[in-house]
Amino acid sequence: MTKPPPDQPQEAFSRRSFLKGASVATIAGTAATAAATAATATQGKPETFGPGTHEIQLKVNGQNKLVKVETRTTLLDALRDQMDLTGAKKICDRGACGGCTVHLDGQPINSCLTLAMDAIGGEITTVESLTEGGKVHPLVQNFVHCDAMQCGFCTPGMVMSSLACLQQRGKPTREQIQHDLSGNICRCGTYGRIFEAVERTAQGAQGGGK
Amino acid sequence: MTTPRQEIELAVGFGKHIEKRKVDVPDGDAPPWDANSKFTVVGTDADRVDGLAKASGRAKYTYDINFPGMLYGVIVRATIAKGKLDVLEVDEARKMPGIAAVVLLKEVGNKVRFVGDPLCAIAGTNLDVIRDAMEKVRAQYTTEEHNVDFLQNPEAPVLDGDGNLIDAWPEHEIGGVIAGAEASHEGTYRTEVQTHSSLETHGAVARWQGDDLEIWMSTQATFGVRGELARALDEKGHKPASVSLHAEFVGGGFGSKFSAGVEGLAVCLLAREAKAPVKLMLDRFEEHTCTGNRPSSLMQIRAAAKKDGTLVAWDTRSFGGVGFAPGGGGVTFPQHYIAEVQKRGAHKDLVCDTDPPRPMRAPTWPQGYFGGELFLDELAGKIGIDPLEFRLKNDGQVIRQEQWRMGAGKFGWLQARNPKPGSPRDGDDPRYLRGAGLASARWGGMGNHGGRTPHGCTCRIHADGKVETRSGAQDIGTGLKTAMAMLTAEELGLAAGAISVFVGHTADPSGPAAGGSTTTPSLAPVIRHAAWLARQELAKIVAQHLGCKPEEVTFAGGKVGAEAAAKPMLSWADACKLIGPNPIETRGTRFPNYKGEAFNNGVCGCQFAEVRIDTWTGQVKVLRMLAIQDCGIVIAKKLAESQVLGAMIQGISYALHEQRLMDKRSGRMLNGDFLRYKITGPADMPPMECIMMSVANGHTNTSSVGLGEPPSVAAPAAIANAVYNAIGVPVRHLPITPDKVLQALAARRA
Ligand code: FES
Ligand code: FES
Repeated sequence: MTKPPPDQPQEAFSRRSFLKGASVATIAGTAATAAATAATATQGKPETFGPGTHEIQLKVNGQNKLVKVETRTTLLDALRDQMDLTGAKKICDRGACGGCTVHLDGQPINSCLTLAMDAIGGEITTVESLTEGGKVHPLVQNFVHCDAMQCGFCTPGMVMSSLACLQQRGKPTREQIQHDLSGNICRCGTYGRIFEAVERTAQGAQGGGK
Repeated sequence: MTTPRQEIELAVGFGKHIEKRKVDVPDGDAPPWDANSKFTVVGTDADRVDGLAKASGRAKYTYDINFPGMLYGVIVRATIAKGKLDVLEVDEARKMPGIAAVVLLKEVGNKVRFVGDPLCAIAGTNLDVIRDAMEKVRAQYTTEEHNVDFLQNPEAPVLDGDGNLIDAWPEHEIGGVIAGAEASHEGTYRTEVQTHSSLETHGAVARWQGDDLEIWMSTQATFGVRGELARALDEKGHKPASVSLHAEFVGGGFGSKFSAGVEGLAVCLLAREAKAPVKLMLDRFEEHTCTGNRPSSLMQIRAAAKKDGTLVAWDTRSFGGVGFAPGGGGVTFPQHYIAEVQKRGAHKDLVCDTDPPRPMRAPTWPQGYFGGELFLDELAGKIGIDPLEFRLKNDGQVIRQEQWRMGAGKFGWLQARNPKPGSPRDGDDPRYLRGAGLASARWGGMGNHGGRTPHGCTCRIHADGKVETRSGAQDIGTGLKTAMAMLTAEELGLAAGAISVFVGHTADPSGPAAGGSTTTPSLAPVIRHAAWLARQELAKIVAQHLGCKPEEVTFAGGKVGAEAAAKPMLSWADACKLIGPNPIETRGTRFPNYKGEAFNNGVCGCQFAEVRIDTWTGQVKVLRMLAIQDCGIVIAKKLAESQVLGAMIQGISYALHEQRLMDKRSGRMLNGDFLRYKITGPADMPPMECIMMSVANGHTNTSSVGLGEPPSVAAPAAIANAVYNAIGVPVRHLPITPDKVLQALAARRA
């Protein structure tokens, strides 16, 4: 077996900074198209941001909010740490669990893989919007009715992915629901009852279909 | 201690198996429920009381606690698996912009025991500036040879190419019994390290106000952790004047969150030094590699039976693949089949340079039941007896005897069995092989009264009609809050939704850690007792108003009053208006479990699974599952089912997907994230059903027994048995990944 030779001093390196650095670089690469789209939306005038914090405006649940972010700040961190919208959860911070799902212009996205600045000009919808003004969205009601949760930590992300499934498919089949939720994981094991909650909502008169 | 007691006769048991039993009930306890009790709330499908808070995203978990001016904390960890810390320089990190505090967690000269051993912690204004500062921490080590594979431990047994243990069994008379028996069998079974993978990582928020410390922590032991931190801070010379802890919502624990951990102490020290609140939550890699796991195991089993299937001898030796120190690596075999047979068992933990295990849902059981139940199916095959019949022959539990029969009927056991293992079922595409398996579940979980300092619960009824039930214990998703509401509502004749429940604050009466399936059975009797006392207080006030005796006052359907009284029944709201400005406030007593024998000293269950194997890819798909499970008298039915279904899903995960992969060279976990550490996801889900059985055990006033662990014991074994039935060869090494299935199919063909 090959092993590092004993007695050889090794430098500590910070795994977090390495990984975060690497992933941000990748995201910046893939997000270029999204940024371009956003830029077009604001009359083709791309803004330039240097290092340090910048105040940007994000439209969240229909309201414009000013937040201070760095270029590397994720949308998830901006929502949770600056706007106290903590429904979106930070579970893996790497796009592998769906717990941070919010909608950007009607599409479900992993907000941990989206830079806050790339969401400028977009319509951001978070799980909190489903219980605004004392009204509870039928999907949320059905999650409760079907007991589609245990610890509840994955639940808001599940709700947002389910909402997208309903909005896009109207009356999804069981297979379609399983497919559309496959980016979300639940450690407590609540999937079956989540599928039931989505189906109930699709069947309900006030269901989540368009 | 002599509590006056009275002997009460109870109807205990279930279904047709009801018997009268005398129990010794302490004076002052609420009259115990039994098999004849009629309920209006208990046992119904009431909703989870905090369901809306959770599904709306408005529930505040520890991770979600924010304060103005709050700082963030991160732990810097060792990058080598074994050695000594020679240098740890943090001065430069401390001077970085935005950094408010640095605390050392390991002294220079101390051992490094695994990749991830904590070195120091840093607090700063956000995670980004902390990451920059982490680059400036300089650590140097003297490295030593490490080993992260328990089977490479010099004390590990020798295995042959097929993974069978080949060392001779130690001499013992049981060897002769097995050699002379009508049928015997031997096999080696193995499981891999599984991480808890709670979705809310470990961590806490700490806030000092003067010398008073307040902590929000993702924990399953509010009081234990409070005490642990108070002591540790004392030792560090910080003497907090008071320590209070909050864990109102906890994003899973599964046994990994009993201790404050290094992160708990670190965040308190950082907040002290920074003079600001600090939040420190571990990241996913830390969660996989530094917060415990279910250890790996190697089990060799040999046993013998008569031709009719009666077991006569059971001999095992097992090894647990633990972390840097021994402990926690044991395995538990299903005892209900072998209570009467000649037995021997030996176990040894094998250390390696990794994060040590922590209890994980039914610690030591799923491993042993996987090995034990698969072994039994192999032996049944040799004897030529159906696995179900084999179980019925040897299972000494009355409850499970009933469950086997009920489950087999419901599942269609005989039809689901592949009569020719290894051949496709009639009408199936020959590419696919189907099969069915079953396995048993068992656990204790009778609950306890708390020992020298019993568990408590407060019930309050306010003049405005509001009812509160309060416990400082935590609800990690199991449903304690809902059980509290339902028990209280049952006593007061209200709906569960009318009760306000408070849990997870150490200012409230103490309760147990959420472990070993003990929270509900330990607390249910005292929750009920508090409500029962409050009801008596209200009855006194109402009786005075109505001019009747307190014993005549009834509480049902939101009405309070007495048939015999001249005045009409009062609505709940009107009855409560009679209460003065001080609410009725009662503190329940958790009496010890009743003396005398309970109907069953634990819970029983069994599970059935049908699988389909793709012989081209080796992939196993679970087609459907069924669980039959009891947990004493069921309180919150819908939530109890959720817990069983969840355990079945975790069982699929353990059987088919989960394994920690270590890089031998660096000693680092290779798949310490959710991209490469696969847990069962939505696409893997088969239809599954769970049937709850109610059993009156007669051991407390509520007869409830814990449910968390038992359903997770059976599922992996049932799936492994189904795979065996489908392909005709056992896969004796979990997880049953496609490579192992293809290997098994190839071996069968050869
Ligand atoms: S936190 Fe974003 S996908 Fe996991
Ligand atoms: S409910 Fe706990 S992770 Fe899904």
